[in-house]
Amino acid sequence: MPKIISTHSFRGGTGKSNTTANLAVLTARAGHRVGVIDTDIQSPGIHVLFQLHESTIDKSLNDYLWGRCPIEEAAYDVTARCIGNVPDDAQRPRVFLIPSSLRTGEIARILREGYDVALLNDGLQDAVRKLNLDFLFIDTHPGVNEETLLSIAVSDLLILIVRPDKQDFQGTAVAVELARKLNVPKMLLLVNKVAPGTNVPELREKIQSMYQAEVAGVLPLNTEMVRLASGEIFTNRFPDHPFSQELYGVVKRILE
Amino acid sequence: MSIKSDDGELDLLLGKMKSAAAPLRDVLRDLHARLAPINDGKVADYIPELAKADPSWFGISIITADGQVFDIGDCKQLFTIQSISKPFVYGLALEDHGVEHVLKKVGVEPSGEAFNAIVLDEASNRPFNPMVNAGAIATADLIQGKDYPERVSRLLAMFSRYCGREVYIDNTVFMSERVTGHRNRAIGHLMLNFGMVSDRIADSLELYFQQCSLMVNSHDLAMIGATLANGGVNPVTGQRAIEQKYVKYLLSIMHSCGMYDYAGEWAYRVGIPAKSGVGGGIVGVVPGQFGIGIFSPPLDSKGNSVRGIKACQELSERFGLHCFETKFTGQSFQSLLAPVRSSG
Repeated sequence: MPKIISTHSFRGGTGKSNTTANLAVLTARAGHRVGVIDTDIQSPGIHVLFQLHESTIDKSLNDYLWGRCPIEEAAYDVTARCIGNVPDDAQRPRVFLIPSSLRTGEIARILREGYDVALLNDGLQDAVRKLNLDFLFIDTHPGVNEETLLSIAVSDLLILIVRPDKQDFQGTAVAVELARKLNVPKMLLLVNKVAPGTNVPELREKIQSMYQAEVAGVLPLNTEMVRLASGEIFTNRFPDHPFSQELYGVVKRILE
Repeated sequence: MSIKSDDGELDLLLGKMKSAAAPLRDVLRDLHARLAPINDGKVADYIPELAKADPSWFGISIITADGQVFDIGDCKQLFTIQSISKPFVYGLALEDHGVEHVLKKVGVEPSGEAFNAIVLDEASNRPFNPMVNAGAIATADLIQGKDYPERVSRLLAMFSRYCGREVYIDNTVFMSERVTGHRNRAIGHLMLNFGMVSDRIADSLELYFQQCSLMVNSHDLAMIGATLANGGVNPVTGQRAIEQKYVKYLLSIMHSCGMYDYAGEWAYRVGIPAKSGVGGGIVGVVPGQFGIGIFSPPLDSKGNSVRGIKACQELSERFGLHCFETKFTGQSFQSLLAPVRSSG
């Protein structure tokens, strides 16, 4: 049965899109058909990591939500860009990206008019079916909003990203409470941007007991990532980096 | 760590997400997609406003007795409620007068006659039931109020409580119903002749034309149904629309007389108390579980929505919703309300 995985953080700037993109690519590399959908309609961005240029985005999630096209027409096969040479007729690995629109007018329209959140779920289910996906990763908007709550409500696995920061700690408590109320079957915490010299086992223990949820990875503050500036998928460029190593462990949990 | 707040607000929001994520949406989308291409039936055209309806309009709504909402297709498209108003006005008459008094004025027997027949019970002079026009006019006559405007506003207030929003009457439809309503006037005056209605029958006929011209959509019909399924309380607003003790009487009449001349076969095949209208709407109630509202204007020869009948019949068969179903072994409707997840 296909798995839907949402990545979420209560506050912005936690490295959510970068982590989602890397986990998606690593999952695909394990021999799967993977979809990535950018439900961050207000501030889309994950397409950059897959080197999908704005000018090549014709149809987007917005078009689907306005009834202009079926969801699969807004999906772009980005396998070559993030995995490399995979024969065209190979079913696996494959990565598809469903971006949100970057056109100012279209962002404005969806903010002004809103949309029926149930349609978004229809789109997620259709994407899984029509693209024959094994995994669908949902990159959400930070904070609490309808698309985030919906993503959590349909997810098999919720990955919450949190920085060791008091603001993040408080906000994450809200996210954890909501996820529990939406009966998410499995929830993993990822601690990101951990400063050098931190007592990692102690931090891990503290966060696990704070939320009564498993910490699946502790990711170091990553200057190479900053330098890469979302230019490409980090684990492709730095497969041996401690950050990458930690993500391999998380992917194992996804594949379980 | 989080701060305790108003759980009611949160529950509403979480409920919306649970509905959006529930497998029932997929079931209804599939049903909608399969029935939408059916082109049988004919849009009612006895007044010009009804003839304007687009035959492709098709909305399916389900609202559960705990307020989960499922809207598929043209669920916001407004249309006139027409005969679907009848059981609810009957409910208001029950509240105004009690069962025994109302039964003296209007019977509860299926008639076998056309809905607009000019026929009264020979022994008692009563109309057969409140779903035929004669019975609905006699029922409207029972609605209390110091004058005509107050009676209209009581009616509107009642429908607003059922729907959970302010409803209004379409004046163009009302005027059309009014100027073409000769047959209904004849029925009213025949009943006046037998002393079955009051001398304010002229006002009551106007009230009847008003109630038929109320604008609703399939979402509203599902909400009305959900309110009855929930013992008379709107599950979203928490407002009571009708006293609990009268709900069963409304449902009984819908069960036996709700679907025009198809009522008997409907009760046999589908077994869901329901009421249809020539505007193309059908409201159905699965007591304790949910209300269903369907809108699709093309009607069969009996005056019921073609797609609406098929949709209800399929849902009833698939999920064992017939009210006399026992020990059903198929998939239950309730199992469609929680998201299915691979590791759940």
